[in-house]
Amino acid sequence: MDVSRRDFLHLAAALGLVSVSNGFATTISSKNPADITLKDLYDFKATGNVTLLHICDMHAHIKPMYWREPSTLISAPELNGTPGFLCGEAFAKYYGLEPSSLDAYFDTHMDFEALAHKFGKMGGVAHMKTLVDQIKKSRGAEKVLFLDSGDTWQGTGVALKTRGEAIVKAQNYLGIDVMVGHWEFTYGKERVKELIGMLEGKFISQNVVGDDPFAEEYEELIFEPYTIEERGGAKIGIIGQSFPFTSTANPKEFTQGWSFGLRTDTLQAYVDELRSEHKVDCVVVLSHDGFSVDQEVAKKVNGIDFILSGHTHDPSPKPIVINGCAIMIAGSHGKYVGRLDIDARGGKVHGYEYKLIPVASNIIPADPAGVKLVNELYAPFDKEMNEVLGKTKGLLYKRDTFFSTFDQLINDAVMDEMKCDISFTPGYRWGTTVLPGDDILMDNVYEMCGVTYPNVYTFELKGDHIAKLLEDIADNVFNDNPLYQQGGDMSRLGGVSYDISVSNAPGKRISKLMVGGKLLDPKKTYVVSSWGGNLQSAGANLQEKKIRPVYDVVRDYIKRKKVVEVSNESNVHILDYDCGCPSVGAKSCKA
Amino acid sequence: MQRRSFLKGIMMTGAAAAVVSPSLAFSAEAPKGPNAMDLDTAIKAITGGKSVSASDKVQLKAPEIAENGAVVPVSVTVDSPMSAEDHVKAIHIFATKNSNVRCADVMLTPANGTASFSTRVKLGSSQDVMALVVTSKGEFLSAAQNVKVTIGGCG
Repeated sequence: MDVSRRDFLHLAAALGLVSVSNGFATTISSKNPADITLKDLYDFKATGNVTLLHICDMHAHIKPMYWREPSTLISAPELNGTPGFLCGEAFAKYYGLEPSSLDAYFDTHMDFEALAHKFGKMGGVAHMKTLVDQIKKSRGAEKVLFLDSGDTWQGTGVALKTRGEAIVKAQNYLGIDVMVGHWEFTYGKERVKELIGMLEGKFISQNVVGDDPFAEEYEELIFEPYTIEERGGAKIGIIGQSFPFTSTANPKEFTQGWSFGLRTDTLQAYVDELRSEHKVDCVVVLSHDGFSVDQEVAKKVNGIDFILSGHTHDPSPKPIVINGCAIMIAGSHGKYVGRLDIDARGGKVHGYEYKLIPVASNIIPADPAGVKLVNELYAPFDKEMNEVLGKTKGLLYKRDTFFSTFDQLINDAVMDEMKCDISFTPGYRWGTTVLPGDDILMDNVYEMCGVTYPNVYTFELKGDHIAKLLEDIADNVFNDNPLYQQGGDMSRLGGVSYDISVSNAPGKRISKLMVGGKLLDPKKTYVVSSWGGNLQSAGANLQEKKIRPVYDVVRDYIKRKKVVEVSNESNVHILDYDCGCPSVGAKSCKA
Repeated sequence: MQRRSFLKGIMMTGAAAAVVSPSLAFSAEAPKGPNAMDLDTAIKAITGGKSVSASDKVQLKAPEIAENGAVVPVSVTVDSPMSAEDHVKAIHIFATKNSNVRCADVMLTPANGTASFSTRVKLGSSQDVMALVVTSKGEFLSAAQNVKVTIGGCG
């Protein structure tokens, strides 16, 4: 049964029955940007009996915002230029984007500032709701299921201050049916359970299992592993996959007693159970594994029809098909809604259509109820969030593999206050973008560092230890096996510059490591400040009096400076690539 | 749930078979104490120098990235009828780069019914975890998986 289904998909793809190749937003790209209308965004070739709507990695951005995609996205040589490791020109070429189009604005960094002025802010739940309502209305609400791949509850000041509650309210307003998690867990186990209690949808995960031998839940699943939802007469089996590396990427104390991991063996067992015992028409994995890891999962696990992925923040206008499984991922920060129409009958998927729809806030009108809700949720914090701290001369952005300007600003602030030799800022992929000349609000600072473990720690590390740590972090980003990556970018370093050959063997990638303009001395002890990670546990002589939340440190620094000017020149020199967005097989972007 | 009863099954077989007896297994003519052997010497002490072949019959389960290097769950299941003529006699687990490479030596008989064992090992750094299986036919079968031990650093 499994084989015949896959054979069918192969055959269907060969005959052009499954519109993988044209199931994306060509209608938008081919138009003159000025002519794009609401109709173009809504335009969709409705197919089959079920519609899955998909969001991922909203990071609590319930208001519209700017979010610039990376201008450097480098990994192991065999991965660069493939989906999951595409940016800029290589991305535009791969997906056939028109320069300066709405898609180019949403999907790449190119010409960002000019296009931001032209097209305006992205996302926001009030705009997203209008889009969702339109789809439900045209399609029939009984056919629509709304899935959320997680990283939804964390990432803004309003999320942090309400410990996730404001965002759960926004999810209930949007009508999220099912979700999984990652940063959700940084509110701690008890709070996660409380918030799930408030969520009108379901929270599922097959890969979170108790590992405390003295707890009731030892060796038990913490959440329901899957759910079966009936839509349009079809039974859709949805298996949840939370972030497999939560306990290594984030502080362990939040999830003590819960074990994560990829757990492909039990995933396979649940796929089989859904097919043979529950006779579902379609098997979906709702995942926070990351786009590249899910491509490996699709190779290892048979019988999955669709993986709706998340974590790595890739906007993927086209699904990729591996082992008969189509994988989609819908960007980040509320910028997109993925729409997947499926023809699922008789235990099989007979065809599908997909479109990654940009939530362009200047084109899709806001739902008044959503505006009201967002205003209510923000009201208690408006005074703090709307405080103007200063202005920026250049573009402040987050992302890129090694360096981005807002991270540099944070490192500048930390070094200024902590008087350290080196500052570490984590390589998260969430944050915000502030346009040149714009005010920097306190809200923006929380958008960059609103975590439940915000303390900046200042401590001592030996030079050789620092070099080893950097290699260790590099191997989490550049390992040629996606299963050994954790889906983030390199930690951002203040006070340091280095050369890197990403294609070198683990432990041998970094050279010419300079601290304060001098080669790193392996025997010397350096004063290091770090936040949002675990480095302090490796250090000595922690300066307890200096510990302070990073958002306060950054706020005070910007207020002191009034106008900030951060150079966009990276402190990292890539030796084996001459650009940030190589196409597949290329070491250079020169044609 | 199903998974749980399955796991309980593993634990019971594990408990029954957990004759972890390094001193017995390695007493004969070891040039150094068994805990000071390097990987090759430790394997040789088991195989007597006979060749070891990687086999699909040996299923080694370990996480790709350790949540905690001090307690890394490892389980080994061998596809074997466990009959008098054809059974697994021993499962050995190695942490290939630890200063003490030997983690467990598990002796089995057909009475065990299934050849599976699960335990937790301590890994000092990223390395391969290896299972070496000895069958009643005198074969030496193996499986290995790389486990990454990292301080983490991204989200």
